Amino acid sequence: MFVAAHLLIMELMASDVEPAPSPSWIQTVLIGRNPKRTAIRIVILVALCLIVFNRFVLVPIRVEGLSMMPTYQDHRINFVNRLAYHFHKPQRGDVVAIRTSGISIMYMKRVIGLPGETVTFHEGHAYIDGELLNEPYVKTRCDWELPPRQLGPDEYFLVGDNRSMPASDHTMGVAPRQRIVGKVLL
Amino acid sequence: MRRWLWRVLLAGGLVALGMWAWTALFPSPERVIRKRLTELAKVATVSGNEAPLAALLNSEKVAGFFTADIEVNLEVPGRAQQVFSGRDDLVQAAKLLRSAAGALNVEFYDIIVTVGPDKATAEANLTLVARTASERDKIVQELKLRLNKAEGAWRIYRLETVRTLSML
Repeated sequence: MFVAAHLLIMELMASDVEPAPSPSWIQTVLIGRNPKRTAIRIVILVALCLIVFNRFVLVPIRVEGLSMMPTYQDHRINFVNRLAYHFHKPQRGDVVAIRTSGISIMYMKRVIGLPGETVTFHEGHAYIDGELLNEPYVKTRCDWELPPRQLGPDEYFLVGDNRSMPASDHTMGVAPRQRIVGKVLL
Repeated sequence: MRRWLWRVLLAGGLVALGMWAWTALFPSPERVIRKRLTELAKVATVSGNEAPLAALLNSEKVAGFFTADIEVNLEVPGRAQQVFSGRDDLVQAAKLLRSAAGALNVEFYDIIVTVGPDKATAEANLTLVARTASERDKIVQELKLRLNKAEGAWRIYRLETVRTLSML
């Protein structure tokens, strides 16, 4: 079979008909044999990637506000990984995005209390089930006093890293699992 | 083959045009409510150099989006709870806010509308984002609105805040 094919090629080469100039391999790799079809494929692929990633996998966000300072600076760009909690539950210390009526506007907070735990603040320190929580990400001291709050089986306690403002001015509290959109990526 | 393809494309285009015309001429209640709430956000926005007469007219326009017996329940973190009823009180509050804020930009995001089985009542959940000239940070607040349809127009009869993160 190989010999027959080889002979055929030799015969073609010997004929008077000049073969059409073949495109260089770089050209073939970059734009394919049919540039029009390649362009259409690229457009469709890019559009699909944008839709899938923007909506269902990685949601791009811009941080606004001071409640997560100094960990996240104002106007910083980041992403929310929506698949992060498909296989496991949110963990203590995770920075998560919490949806409002949709995902156009989301809160960015840190998980400090897990389902079933009791969270309280005394002299600015967070206590979980009566034990002091080590929070190396908190760089500012505060004097927050919050009464004990027992979390339900599907509830998480979320708070920002910036504790320099009065507790009443800081958006924090309890959210059910379905409000957590995903984990902040960077 | 080509003629056949053109016919299919033309038929598809006509069907799409027909569907667009149908939705434009007979919009669904959800779409009407969404459009009306977007209008409300525009009317509630105050430019910094608004003339007193324009401010008065816009406050009256805001009133047109609510029923006469509107009930308002506002619970904003760090501020005292405010409960009031009646369109006059609401207009008065809107006027005070307009004069105090100077400039106010109001936007509604993620408007989710659920129309009741009677097609005459509806509930809308949305996120209000407001920015005033005096405050550095945006004000973000989830709201729940209840609307009813009277005399051909959807009007809000109950407005309440929703706590995204609850402390209770």
